Amino acid sequence: MKTAVLVTRPVVRYLLAALVIGLTTGVLRWWQADRGTALVPLLYLLPVGLCTAFLGLGPGIASAVLAFLAFNYFFIDPFHTLTVGRAEDTAVLLVFLVVAVVISQLVGRAQAGLAASQAREREASLLYELSTALAGLTDAQGIGQTLCEQIRQTFRARRVELEVRGVSDAASLEAAAAEAEGPADGPAHEVMALQTARGRLGEIRLWLVVPPLAPSEARLLYTFASQGALALERAWLAQAEQRARVLEESDRLKSALLSSVSHELRTPLATIKAAATSLRSGEIAWDSTARRDLLGAIDDEADHLNRLVGNLLDMSRIESGALRPRRQWNLLAEIVAGVVQRMQPQAADHVLEIDVPEELPLVPVDYVQFEQVFTNLISNGLKYAPPRSTISIRASLETPEAVRVQVSNQGPPVPDQDLARIFDKFYRVTAAERVTGTGLGLSICKGIVEAHGGRIWAENLPHGFAFLFTLPLMWDGAPPPRVPVEGESAG
Amino acid sequence: MTSPPAKKESRVGRGATPRPQVLVIDDEPQIVRALRTILSQNGYQVVSASRGEEGLALAAASPPDVIILDLGLPDMDGITVCERLREWTRTPVIVLSVRDADADKVAALDKGADDYLTKPFSADELLARLRVALRHAARWDGSRQESAVTAGPITIDLARHEVRRDGEEVRLTATEFRLLAYLAANANRVLTHRGILSQVWGPQEGDHVEYLRVYIRQLRKKLEPDPERPAFVVTEPGVGYRFLADD
Repeated sequence: MKTAVLVTRPVVRYLLAALVIGLTTGVLRWWQADRGTALVPLLYLLPVGLCTAFLGLGPGIASAVLAFLAFNYFFIDPFHTLTVGRAEDTAVLLVFLVVAVVISQLVGRAQAGLAASQAREREASLLYELSTALAGLTDAQGIGQTLCEQIRQTFRARRVELEVRGVSDAASLEAAAAEAEGPADGPAHEVMALQTARGRLGEIRLWLVVPPLAPSEARLLYTFASQGALALERAWLAQAEQRARVLEESDRLKSALLSSVSHELRTPLATIKAAATSLRSGEIAWDSTARRDLLGAIDDEADHLNRLVGNLLDMSRIESGALRPRRQWNLLAEIVAGVVQRMQPQAADHVLEIDVPEELPLVPVDYVQFEQVFTNLISNGLKYAPPRSTISIRASLETPEAVRVQVSNQGPPVPDQDLARIFDKFYRVTAAERVTGTGLGLSICKGIVEAHGGRIWAENLPHGFAFLFTLPLMWDGAPPPRVPVEGESAG
Repeated sequence: MTSPPAKKESRVGRGATPRPQVLVIDDEPQIVRALRTILSQNGYQVVSASRGEEGLALAAASPPDVIILDLGLPDMDGITVCERLREWTRTPVIVLSVRDADADKVAALDKGADDYLTKPFSADELLARLRVALRHAARWDGSRQESAVTAGPITIDLARHEVRRDGEEVRLTATEFRLLAYLAANANRVLTHRGILSQVWGPQEGDHVEYLRVYIRQLRKKLEPDPERPAFVVTEPGVGYRFLADD
């Protein structure tokens, strides 16, 4: 630590004090030879004050006593003895001693006060640094790591370890900071508990360069530990709050879901029930066309129900972060063609136009999930765009590392303020009665595209409306592979 | 959904030949009930088991002609059942799975299952898959190894390495032919990406789905009347490919 005391070893300090008084005595003896001794005691006060200021209180007092002795020995008659002949000299000597000691003490105390306030200032600035470093952090691991690193730098430790054993894994933590790699050698020099109002969280272990810590340093370490414990507690509380919010949100989602779903599920169920019971009842002899119609309705509505259940499952998976794409290198054209082929019956009233260039690179996506993205985007168009209008699917290379897909229709524009919200769950621009669906299709698309690192948005076009999304082509840092195609040689 | 192959005979083996026996391993009574009705109406004998162990025991006690196996069994993993069956029998296995279990489906197929159906499925689809599985099993018995496969306008002569579309010879590269030959030799069966890749490119290439994507596109361009709407080389989303040949 840096203080006004220039030399740290006590012996050296006392020797220096003696040296200063010796030198002063020499100078004074040469100087007073023809001037008398009246000023001498005054001039001795200067080195005494300096000694106290620069060497500390102890050497200061020692210098005062030494100066008193030297003054007595060299300048008070009879010279070269410690006896005092005249009464006034005794008074001068005594006054000198008292003044010298008092000055020493005053200067020393001021010095000590200065040192203490400097130490406090340093502690405050170290604590400020620590709390600034911790303030920005919200994750417990980061806090643990920062705390270890700060402690290591502040206390010049070779290694600092932090260990928190909570009731659960979420409340447990291990962090370490070290000058050099490798495990700690020997037991820790210093162990400090991480304490909060609710009890002991864990502990911090220090391996020092020069053990042990001074009492002031130990106090500082204790303050660091309390700060760290507070920051950790804050992070865990924030996490708990976040969890509570998610639960609340999912509760809200569930009730919205239930009301939307019970309606949506009952409609196909009602059809199925009505058709099946009609066919079973022995009262009417159904002709073959009517039979086929009823059976067709059962079949169609069963498929509809299946899609609804699928959407709900997907949504809950996206919500819980469990939607994990099974990525493979795929040709967008193949996915789009498959979807268009399968949707042909539903899309009979519309024109589907595909423009997915063959030279597009392979894309790293989950085939089934992207089938769903295209299915949902196209069915959205089918729902809102007028019959006989065109729905077009276009893909192009946006940058060498991203592909851009546009699914547009000639449906009515969506108010600008709703463009971002149409990807929200259950959000509908049009009144729910007019269009069927769970209101989940677009949010599922968003979930899937984002799970692939892409971005999806909607735009109004001069004569219609478009969904757009981009997809990164890089997969784990690897660009799309180029498949070597061999020359033809039949057989 | 892909449309099932044209149905030539709705009932199998009525009359002189014994009725083929189907072992259904599924723990859901409603499904078993429905399967039992559909299958026995269509000329099959049905035996059922609600647990994996029971199914394995039944399969050993009276070997069925085909097994329908649900992947979600209460006592053991359907994939394990598949594996255990394949230790001693080639009896065709058709797995039933739910839509979201692609990975399980593929694992079961890679472990030797012959085909899959995603619940809910139609009776037509089920019957078509059963017919394909039985026919394929018969072929494996060595009784009739066909050397020519026909699919609409496409004819593939496996022995002579010759492919024709509408009677005109189609020139294929060596790899294209190997791929088509493997698909055609397993006509109407689902083949997984990994299965095709290791058969056509070699076992070490099992993960390079991109080869398959590109070569399937090539094949479609050369063979399909409308490559954008493939009718013969069809994609099984998330699983693999299937070559739909004439019955």
